Amino acid sequence: MMFDPQVIIEKLPEIGSGLFVTLWLWIAGVLGGVVAGFIVATARRFGGKIVNAVLGTIVEVLRGTPFLIQIFLLYYGGPFVGLMLDPIPCGLIGLTVYSAAYYSEVFRAGYASVPVGHVEAAACLGMTRFQTISRIQVPEMALIVLPPAINLAIILLKESAVLSIITVPELTATVSAIGSQQYAFLEAIFILAIVYWIIVELTDRLGRVAENRLSRLRFSKA
Amino acid sequence: MTPKLFTLLLEAALSTLGISLVSIAIGFVIAMLLSAALLSGKLIYILPARLFISFFRGVPLLVQLLLIYTLLPVIGINVPGIVAAIVGLSLCTAAYQAENLRGGFASVPPGLIEAADVAGFTGAQTFIRIRAPIALRLTFPALVNEAIMILKSSSLVSVVGIIEITKMAQDLASSTYQPIPIFASAALIYFVINSAIALLGRYAERSLKGASA
Amino acid sequence: MSVPAIAIRKLVKRFGETTVLQDIDLEIPEGKVSCLIGPSGSGKSTLLRCLAFLEEATSGMITINGEALGFFEDANGRRERLPANQIRAVRTKTGMVFQQFNLWPHMTALGNVSEALKLVRKVPKAEAEERAMVQLRKVGLENRAGHYPSQLSGGQQQRVAIARALALEPKIMLFDEPTSALDPELTGEVLNVMRDLASEGMTMVVVTHEIGFAASVGQQISFLDHGRLLFSGPPAEIFAKPRHPRLEQFLDTYLDRGASMLA
Repeated sequence: MMFDPQVIIEKLPEIGSGLFVTLWLWIAGVLGGVVAGFIVATARRFGGKIVNAVLGTIVEVLRGTPFLIQIFLLYYGGPFVGLMLDPIPCGLIGLTVYSAAYYSEVFRAGYASVPVGHVEAAACLGMTRFQTISRIQVPEMALIVLPPAINLAIILLKESAVLSIITVPELTATVSAIGSQQYAFLEAIFILAIVYWIIVELTDRLGRVAENRLSRLRFSKA
Repeated sequence: MTPKLFTLLLEAALSTLGISLVSIAIGFVIAMLLSAALLSGKLIYILPARLFISFFRGVPLLVQLLLIYTLLPVIGINVPGIVAAIVGLSLCTAAYQAENLRGGFASVPPGLIEAADVAGFTGAQTFIRIRAPIALRLTFPALVNEAIMILKSSSLVSVVGIIEITKMAQDLASSTYQPIPIFASAALIYFVINSAIALLGRYAERSLKGASA
Repeated sequence: MSVPAIAIRKLVKRFGETTVLQDIDLEIPEGKVSCLIGPSGSGKSTLLRCLAFLEEATSGMITINGEALGFFEDANGRRERLPANQIRAVRTKTGMVFQQFNLWPHMTALGNVSEALKLVRKVPKAEAEERAMVQLRKVGLENRAGHYPSQLSGGQQQRVAIARALALEPKIMLFDEPTSALDPELTGEVLNVMRDLASEGMTMVVVTHEIGFAASVGQQISFLDHGRLLFSGPPAEIFAKPRHPRLEQFLDTYLDRGASMLA
């Protein structure tokens, strides 16, 4: 039975390692997605019609197909194009690319929310595009972009469980394996659910605190 | 990639569509019940509803499916795997749909509710005749989005052995040693279905807008 | 004859199928206040935006102090686009004030005014802020330097916007309906700042509905209608009776904006 404290203590390091993998894959995936997503959104906005169309199609495909299929394509299909990936790097790349597609949409909406006139004023004053993006557009979109960005991060944490299917040794994989070994699969899954639930709730609360702090710092548009 | 293989995937797509549709429908009913509970004003209904929504939005769908799939036999409910899968999907989408509806219900102009109150409507009547239709119209785009989400999430039921597009693709890929064309075809089928739903959704939204003006 | 501040030659602007500006030929003299007036949709804002290079003309040429802006077109109508840094150099000769102020909400008044000095002129922060304060003092808002735009009235915001444009010491100031978005009691403070600027000899191009201002401060009045420049000249000439019927029609709708003084 899973609830034998001896067993739990024995297995704690294993579970801890699984949790660690989930957390760092998640954070890396989110950060990578934010950076790549921002670059894609910026490229789409300023790169001309063709760039916009090509990147737009890629984004639509990544958002319109299941994450699991994308992971299978990368993991099982990769070797056929010379990309022999271990589960963890594969999971990281898959999660980051998926994450970037969604973040690019968040930043697209962010760019659209900055009034055109603010950008025109910067242009008339002789500011370069880079200066306008970094000093005007990004700060102005920060408040608008934060809530969807945090929600997206939470969604990505939940998606990361899918990586267990390609044997990435993250939390779901680890706990399910222990559960099967101990003939206490149901209890293990139940505890697994609770753990995710707690992390998600915590992130949600922290996110809201961050939103409040930020909205007090920045003044809303007059 | 042969036409024969593609046909197999298309047949599996029917399964995907069937599972998704049933789950969305059941999920919708549950979501409306949850919304009614949240608006009832009575803590005894509100708290369990909140707990339900929080749990099924806070736990990964994969874990939920494993949970339901393992739990049902243990508590004596012996159903075919596909039923367990649909139960799992329905509960999950119910929570998300309820969350979408929450915003819609909050946007119902209070004046309309007061008017119903004054006219003698009971809580249930106000809910059915006033609040629900308005909330649904407002949250329609979010509901279309959720439909697309369920369609993608249905790929996870492959994990508990249900035959739909993803499971079929997995089996075909391992037997033909051609993962790229097969998974790419599977992706294409999902993409086409989702794009169709999005288009239909936009079309429906436009006709809804016309009606409510 | 000195070089005009702005020379507009055969300017045409099309948006897709619609021609918004047709064959505009105009010279804006230096050191004078030039007003563009006309009914809504006449193209006067578009013309001003072309001068600020916020819109690119479909054909024709604009020169600022003798230098071509954006495109060079020779006598045969051959047009070439000028390099980006040259365009930027010419643009810094003009400052633009918008109808909607367009102050950046995440910076204080001082921040707004000093930002371009720091980024474009590469002035160190302390000096930039000093020079910004000089401009704020000039528009009468030195004691609001630490305020954010959301804490300022419309008239104050517009004055900060003027200070922001002046900070880069442009040769020409462009105003796009600077008081149209203001409550009537706030237009005075902005028009006064503009009057002061004019008396200092700044070359100004103003798109405005304030006919009173145009008639009293303006030294060149240009009337646009349906994308064409109908006539241009000193106010005494333009507003003298008998007037062009279109102008008469137009002024009739603006009696409450000071045009009545011309009746």
